[in-house]
Amino acid sequence: MSKLLEIKDLKVKYGNIEALHGISLYVDKGEIVTLIGANGAGKSTTLMSISRLPPPEAPKVVEGDILYNGESLLEWNPDKIVADLHLALVPEGRRIFGNLSVEENLRLATYARKDTARDVERDYKRVYSLFPRLHERRKQQSESLSGGEQQMLAVGRALMSSCNFIMLDEPSMGLAPLLMYDMFRALKELNREGMTILLIEQNANLALKFADRGYVIDTGEIVAQGISEQLMDDPEVKKAYLGG
Amino acid sequence: MEALFQNIINALQWGSFYALIALGYTLVYGVLLLINFAHGDIFMVGAYIAFGVSVFVLGTQGLGLPNWAILACGVPLTMILTAGVGVTLERIAYRPLRRKGAHRLYVVITALMCGLILENGNLALLGASRKKFPELMEKAVWTFGNVSVTNLKVIVIVAAFATFAFLNFIVTRTRIGMAMRAVSYDKFAIPLMGIPVDSVIVFTFVLGSGFAGLAGMLFAMSYPILEPYMGALIGWKAFIAAVVGGIGDIRGAFVGGFLLGFIEILVVAFFPSTFRDLIAFSILLLILWIKPTGLFGVARHQKI
Repeated sequence: MSKLLEIKDLKVKYGNIEALHGISLYVDKGEIVTLIGANGAGKSTTLMSISRLPPPEAPKVVEGDILYNGESLLEWNPDKIVADLHLALVPEGRRIFGNLSVEENLRLATYARKDTARDVERDYKRVYSLFPRLHERRKQQSESLSGGEQQMLAVGRALMSSCNFIMLDEPSMGLAPLLMYDMFRALKELNREGMTILLIEQNANLALKFADRGYVIDTGEIVAQGISEQLMDDPEVKKAYLGG
Repeated sequence: MEALFQNIINALQWGSFYALIALGYTLVYGVLLLINFAHGDIFMVGAYIAFGVSVFVLGTQGLGLPNWAILACGVPLTMILTAGVGVTLERIAYRPLRRKGAHRLYVVITALMCGLILENGNLALLGASRKKFPELMEKAVWTFGNVSVTNLKVIVIVAAFATFAFLNFIVTRTRIGMAMRAVSYDKFAIPLMGIPVDSVIVFTFVLGSGFAGLAGMLFAMSYPILEPYMGALIGWKAFIAAVVGGIGDIRGAFVGGFLLGFIEILVVAFFPSTFRDLIAFSILLLILWIKPTGLFGVARHQKI
């Protein structure tokens, strides 16, 4: 049985600079997996590579492979990854469309969906029940939202694309603690409904409590991996990422 | 009083041409932040395509259809073919640069060159002799007191308003319109919504160039002499109109186009006609001086 997502010896470059030096990892269906590491370790780079986003913002794959259900993604276009594979990315910095209203941001994400209007309607309901604030502000220009609300919108937008696998790039960034717990509760709920989650976090403590398994990445290489409890007890990981 | 009404009608007609062309500038700018300097020449090509379609395909030297049929088929055919020219430019000139991540300045220079290529390509291909556009519509003149309106003027004005209403609907109400606005804000995040960026861009060029084709056909019917450089000055003026209106905003292009039309006609009503462009552009300069982002433009700011 092949893994849902499998990365094999992936090497990627930005221009001439190699950012990942051959990393391997996998995610099974229904799992929550986290990728932790310091700034510049290659976490976002990994997610952008999986989403097949084009250079120059995203890296170029030079070696290795990214498999989804056993099929290589290297020749895929980024829009097809979302539209056909239902693999969504909530990117670093949220990247919501500030010149559109909250509602328009969500509607835009339904662009490539081929299912029925009823399915779309159900997803609006789900997003608004997970994040009631978005419903309150649905007519508002999304630029004017607070950072936390923008983060909710970014996640909501991914859900509106009818993804069944969501990759999140530091969703806790800039969130007040209370909002952050709300966010993670929402993600946990999604996971219970069958959503596969690959999560990037700088807050390793939080991430490992939340995830089933984790990988620790450092300067473009995987330096530790295992189920969350194991990693939390690993003295090296403790020292470097969990504050002793 | 009657002179005033007559002037208003003329201003509306010229404003309509400026507005139709300015809409194309503003659409492409709104999506790609690219000033498509070839757009005035796409308008010129549109006029020539209208000529070719009306004479050699549908008209006397082609199928020999009656005038009403030439008009009915010629307008959509001209718009489609002109849209094809715009899309071709995007494909062979702008897209390769975009792929390589070229700085916007180089893309703008490429657009300028494309315009010159269209002008001079036309000159080389069809020669310097001017073309006479056939009369496709019997001219009807309606007079109210001393004010006279031709049916063609009414059509031009109605076409401009209808085009604006149509584009405004597309941009503000449809998903592809949202995608167009979203591309201008953040191209990077577009594929994450499952949207191929290129198809949004191609659609934008189809709209902009298609309506430049419509403008070309209407212009050729109103002023039936075609020459390769006919798009240059009117293109510049429409571009400036779009900037004064607030480039990137289609209301701005529409209002800017009519504003320029009115200023020009009113200047000529009170001053010698040689003063027209001098005074018109001075007024526009003054508007930009007071509001540099244009009438409808807003300064961009992003939340960190």
